Amino acid sequence: MLVNGKDFSSRASKAPADAGLQQQVSNLKTGFVAARARAVAALPEYEAMRDAGAAIKDHTLANLDFYLERFERAVVDRGGHVHWAADAEEACRIVREICTRTGARTVTKGKSMVSEEIGLNEALEADGLDVVETDAGEYIVQLAKEAPSHIVMPTVHKTTNEISDLFFEHHRRHGFSERVTDAAELIAQVRSVMREKYFSADIGITGANFLVAETGSNIIVTNEGNGDLTCTLARVHIVTAGIEKVVPTLNDASVLLRLLARSALGIETTSYTTLSTGPRRPGDADGPEEYHVVLVDNGRTKMLSGAFRPMLRCIRCGACMNHCPVYLAVGGHTYASVYPGPMGAVLTPMIARHEAANELPHACTLNGRCQQVCPVKIPLPDLLRRLRHEQWEDGFIKGRSRWGLGVWSWLATRPALYRVATRLGVQVLRWLGRSRGRIGHLPLAGEWTAGRDLPAPQGTTFHAAWAKRKRQP
Amino acid sequence: MTEARRDTVLARIRAALGDRHRTRDELATLDRRLNAPPVGVRPKLHDDPLSQFITKAQANLCTVERIASLQMLVPAILRLLPPPPQKPDISVAPALAHLGWPADWSINFGAGRRTEPLSVTLAVAGIAETGSVVLRSAPASPTTLNFLPDMHVVVLRADDVVAHTEDAWARLRAEGGDWPRTVNIIAGPSRTADVGGIIVRPAHGPKSVHLVLCDS
Repeated sequence: MLVNGKDFSSRASKAPADAGLQQQVSNLKTGFVAARARAVAALPEYEAMRDAGAAIKDHTLANLDFYLERFERAVVDRGGHVHWAADAEEACRIVREICTRTGARTVTKGKSMVSEEIGLNEALEADGLDVVETDAGEYIVQLAKEAPSHIVMPTVHKTTNEISDLFFEHHRRHGFSERVTDAAELIAQVRSVMREKYFSADIGITGANFLVAETGSNIIVTNEGNGDLTCTLARVHIVTAGIEKVVPTLNDASVLLRLLARSALGIETTSYTTLSTGPRRPGDADGPEEYHVVLVDNGRTKMLSGAFRPMLRCIRCGACMNHCPVYLAVGGHTYASVYPGPMGAVLTPMIARHEAANELPHACTLNGRCQQVCPVKIPLPDLLRRLRHEQWEDGFIKGRSRWGLGVWSWLATRPALYRVATRLGVQVLRWLGRSRGRIGHLPLAGEWTAGRDLPAPQGTTFHAAWAKRKRQP
Repeated sequence: MTEARRDTVLARIRAALGDRHRTRDELATLDRRLNAPPVGVRPKLHDDPLSQFITKAQANLCTVERIASLQMLVPAILRLLPPPPQKPDISVAPALAHLGWPADWSINFGAGRRTEPLSVTLAVAGIAETGSVVLRSAPASPTTLNFLPDMHVVVLRADDVVAHTEDAWARLRAEGGDWPRTVNIIAGPSRTADVGGIIVRPAHGPKSVHLVLCDS
């Protein structure tokens, strides 16, 4: 996985000035947040469903070996193959070997975040394969040689004009020589290009929203129908999925599908929910000749063993990023990781190494909205706090931050001294803001005050106010 | 090599879970949960299943038509096609081949084609909760007919409308035989919002979905 979580802050400081990005991201703020709120309000059973969803995932994770083995058996019984990959490199090698053995030249892909996580496209392209993303959004970012900026809406950062330029440049060879700017005409071009690709594909790769132990099925949800055509028309269907994607039964999947559609898009269901179970059966007129599932660990067993297990409940809905003030201010690319936003700030350091993503757990105000909207109740702020703590313990936090935090913790663990110091601090800040009620420049926080004023304290310290309140009858 | 990779990952999982052996009772409980899947909390229906199915399907931008019997299907399809003298060129699922299709129509009773104006398929269930139809793959029911046409006509017996998705799974399980290779749950036309957040129909699949509810 391409991770560059080190320079988060320098990228973040440029994002607010990117007018195009800000416009696009504001669509998330209004459209998706409101749609989710409406969908949730319309379902009195929603809270009970969240509890049920979290319980299903916890039960499955506590018995993960059992359910994966049952899933494997069900796939094999129906003529499919299951492969196990400890890391990204192994996962890519398994897919590459299938491509080589079947003499594949073209690969169509449905949306799969795991395939991005393991760097599958790059690995296959290095082998000389023609790899095409079929989801309109993934195709657009593939043409632009960019990464998706959102796990559900990969093109949320791109304007229609940019897409128009991109197609004008790339679609001439498909017979489209006019520059079009209408969304419907642009999508019509994608439809036309992909029809050819679906029929000529040797390998169709999709992800899995869920794997079902009961039947050995993988489930994908789409609104476009691209993943569904990908896995039906190619000669070989390969599923890449994290080991945490398995659920016991179809009924369990139904509970989670209800949560997923509402949390991701504010709808009751996507246009298509497709279950694939093994290869073409005798007499079938369509369907793949081979069916493979690649189960990817890549850091997941590390999460399974300890305090980060709840992160493996994640169903990749993206609600946490849609509601995250940091994500909404800086956009997905600032995280420079396959998984952006709050869930990415936890996942990336666990999948990659701490040092490759050491700024990400700090890209959080701990406001808690992500946890409030998470359909499977992942305590994201707690996990981020824990990551920060681990970074401190491991010595990744250095320089002024380490020194400052050291002073703070020394002071905060001495209540009497802390009260004196804060009382003094309030007086100093009040004095600094005496003329305007605001402070335009603060020593040691010059970067922060360069963009905004700090309001001067309006009363006394919290401790003093609290003590006074307690004295009142 | 393959075995070694499998053992590595499973050993890591077991170690992460504390390397605890399950007792015979625990295994029996897990097996029971798999063999008799529990049904959890489900959204309450606002209406009788058939009425809610129709309301929801229309809200999903499907068009819905009711016919008294399958004998009325061919005339219903004729009304959807462009007027003569154009000769209909459509695909029909082999499951519906026996319905007396006009001899002078050009009909493909097989898998979907690259250019496909209209296909007619048979659903195994309708789901009232979401207004979706459930289609299963079989030699007489190719999956590509669900995704390649411009207009997808789905025939559904009114008796096959169930309340929730879990009820559809129960039906498919009760059919006996092996679990189908492909099950498609379809809730409306193909769409995308990947260009500028504007909803466009269709993306890769059908532009329109027409449901024909058959009363007998």
